[in-house]
Amino acid sequence: MTTTRSPFAPRARRAAVVAGAAAVAMVLSACAGGAAGADDADGDFTGEELSVLLISSHEGASEWLKTEFEKETGAIINPVIVPYDEIGSKLALDQQSGANTIDVAAPWYTSLGDLAADGAIQDLTEWVDGNDAIDVDDFIPSIWEPYSQVDGKTYGLPFDGDTHVLFYNKEILARNGFDAPPTTWDEYLEQTKTITENESADGVYGAAVFGQKSPLILGASFANRLAGYGGEFLDEDGKPTINTPEAVAAAQALVDVNDYALPTPAETDFGAGNSAWFAGKVGFIENWTDLGVRSQDPESGSEVVDQWGVTLLPTGGDNTESRASLVAGFSWVIAANTQKTALAQKFVEWASSSEVNAALLTELPPTGIDPNRVSSLEDPTYGEEFPEIQEANRATLDGALAWPTGENATEAAQVLTDELAKLLAGEGGSAQDTLDRVQAEWEDLLE
Amino acid sequence: MLALVVLGGYPLVFIVLAAFTESSLGRPFQEFVGTATFETVLADADVTASLVRGVVYAVLVAVASVALGVATAVALWRSVRAGAVIRTLLLLPMITPPVVVGILWKLVFNPSGGLVDTVLGAVVPGGATFSVLSDPVLAFLGVALADVWEWTPLIVLLVFAALIGQDVEIAEAAALDGAHGFRLFRSITFPAIAATVGAAFLIRLVLAFKVFDLVYILTSGGPGQSTTMPAYIIWQAALQQFDVGRAAAITLLLAVVVTLVTLPVVALTRRLHHD
Repeated sequence: MTTTRSPFAPRARRAAVVAGAAAVAMVLSACAGGAAGADDADGDFTGEELSVLLISSHEGASEWLKTEFEKETGAIINPVIVPYDEIGSKLALDQQSGANTIDVAAPWYTSLGDLAADGAIQDLTEWVDGNDAIDVDDFIPSIWEPYSQVDGKTYGLPFDGDTHVLFYNKEILARNGFDAPPTTWDEYLEQTKTITENESADGVYGAAVFGQKSPLILGASFANRLAGYGGEFLDEDGKPTINTPEAVAAAQALVDVNDYALPTPAETDFGAGNSAWFAGKVGFIENWTDLGVRSQDPESGSEVVDQWGVTLLPTGGDNTESRASLVAGFSWVIAANTQKTALAQKFVEWASSSEVNAALLTELPPTGIDPNRVSSLEDPTYGEEFPEIQEANRATLDGALAWPTGENATEAAQVLTDELAKLLAGEGGSAQDTLDRVQAEWEDLLE
Repeated sequence: MLALVVLGGYPLVFIVLAAFTESSLGRPFQEFVGTATFETVLADADVTASLVRGVVYAVLVAVASVALGVATAVALWRSVRAGAVIRTLLLLPMITPPVVVGILWKLVFNPSGGLVDTVLGAVVPGGATFSVLSDPVLAFLGVALADVWEWTPLIVLLVFAALIGQDVEIAEAAALDGAHGFRLFRSITFPAIAATVGAAFLIRLVLAFKVFDLVYILTSGGPGQSTTMPAYIIWQAALQQFDVGRAAAITLLLAVVVTLVTLPVVALTRRLHHD
């Protein structure tokens, strides 16, 4: 990777552009008006407060959003930060209990169906359809639908694209005789095995594999392989298809790398995996594209500045086309019982805009945000500073594997994760046995 | 009376109603489903396994804690030099926040430079990395070890208080009659504190059944399902899967299991107290 940081001047210019564009968007939005509540008919939000629920990975982004939104509207954002696996339950409980302290949230897109079924979030269909300023057509198509739609209705707007790619440490690969990263999961296993066998005595391993028992962690590692082998979570009719040969091969690939990965996948969460990557202790890590931004930032603790590269996820089996995997990803939603719908809409419209997304992509300190719009993906500053990441992210333009999003999708993701954890621990029989059990449970949950 | 209703009655009624209705996190009590949720839960091998695992874990941890706690309390009681400082230090694990205890033991078990791995690496140079929390059996024992470390001081405190409260003259008389050492402890000291030890065992048993934070921090219930305890699976059902009905049904089943396991202990403690 030869990417270097550009001076801060472009960032300042970009901030000015963002401010201007956002102001224009606000004016257009105010003109569109339609669904805005009566609470702020004059559009003046000065001094008003909005509670925004976010996961801890988005804390940096929340600070930027708070500062910039206050500049734009005079409204004050109060971020409420929770662990990534608690945001859905926090929002649902807040609304169900009548506390109603949350106005806007950015949960994992997979939970949209459950939050909608629980009456915890607003149906945004009418507002979005009647608001040209949102520019729905600019969202990356493969992201737009899973991040916003439940049963044909719009419940969210994309916030954090979050597709996984494969990062590799060039120096570790070179030391072990590899001059190119793997293009198939078989090659990935071979390179990982070689590196671990050669260097594990020095604390260097072939790969960090996220295997902790959480849908966003272990589930993500499986989804990457499922995409690579050409599998699907659901078929074209929306029915579970999780025990196909492609899915079984994906699960087996996870088992195969288990013994050669950073000890140990079962204990590797984001913190452990990323720490090993930044310390230059692993050859590969599957991660969100924003990892590249942090890898180039020594102030974030990175020891791999200019030592890394990024490539598309490998393929496997008969599939030869790399496919993006929307393993995580977060959407803006508006709480069902908020008394500040107009301000919430204003914030969500602004925060999901192309200009804001583009600014967050390259902001320092890194915000952890990935592209969600075609225009922000093609943002010149992003392309200039992180061309390889931009190229890898373009994979989302050609379709991507997304989790189910309807009612019970959260439980379905947990069921899959629990079964995969058993498989890795040697408790679940074969990969085929494991996924047959998942298929049976998913048929009950999702049909 | 009001406090009893608020603290005990309301949660119990809520759980029972949730268990017999279709209840999600945002919309509890949607539709009466009778015993359907119980049938589903009892047919789920992961749930029944977690209940059995919870019993094994609770008994193991309670026995270990009480054995260590009694031994430590007696040692403190007999040591003339054991002052307030040592007793306070012994209480530190108990007053440490559970999350910190979890993080501490996670560092101890860390396969890349943790205490266990480092010590074993020094003993067996060049050996493979040793990971406690990746092996189903070792992970179970690892969580139990952290739990014993955290709560044994409570047993020490309770038993030590009983020891210093016993009638010294009885022990002195027995000593004059030639009893000493383990015989003195077995025949005189232990019977005097047996009721307290029984009560301490009961408290420890219940605490062990409730373990959640250590599992959450150390293993997330893994590897596989090897450390998925009942409290963890209830949390998963309610707050990860939004299925409050399922969580409530498992909670009631856990209550039955805890009652069945603790009833003999309660009876024994009562008998020891009357003796």
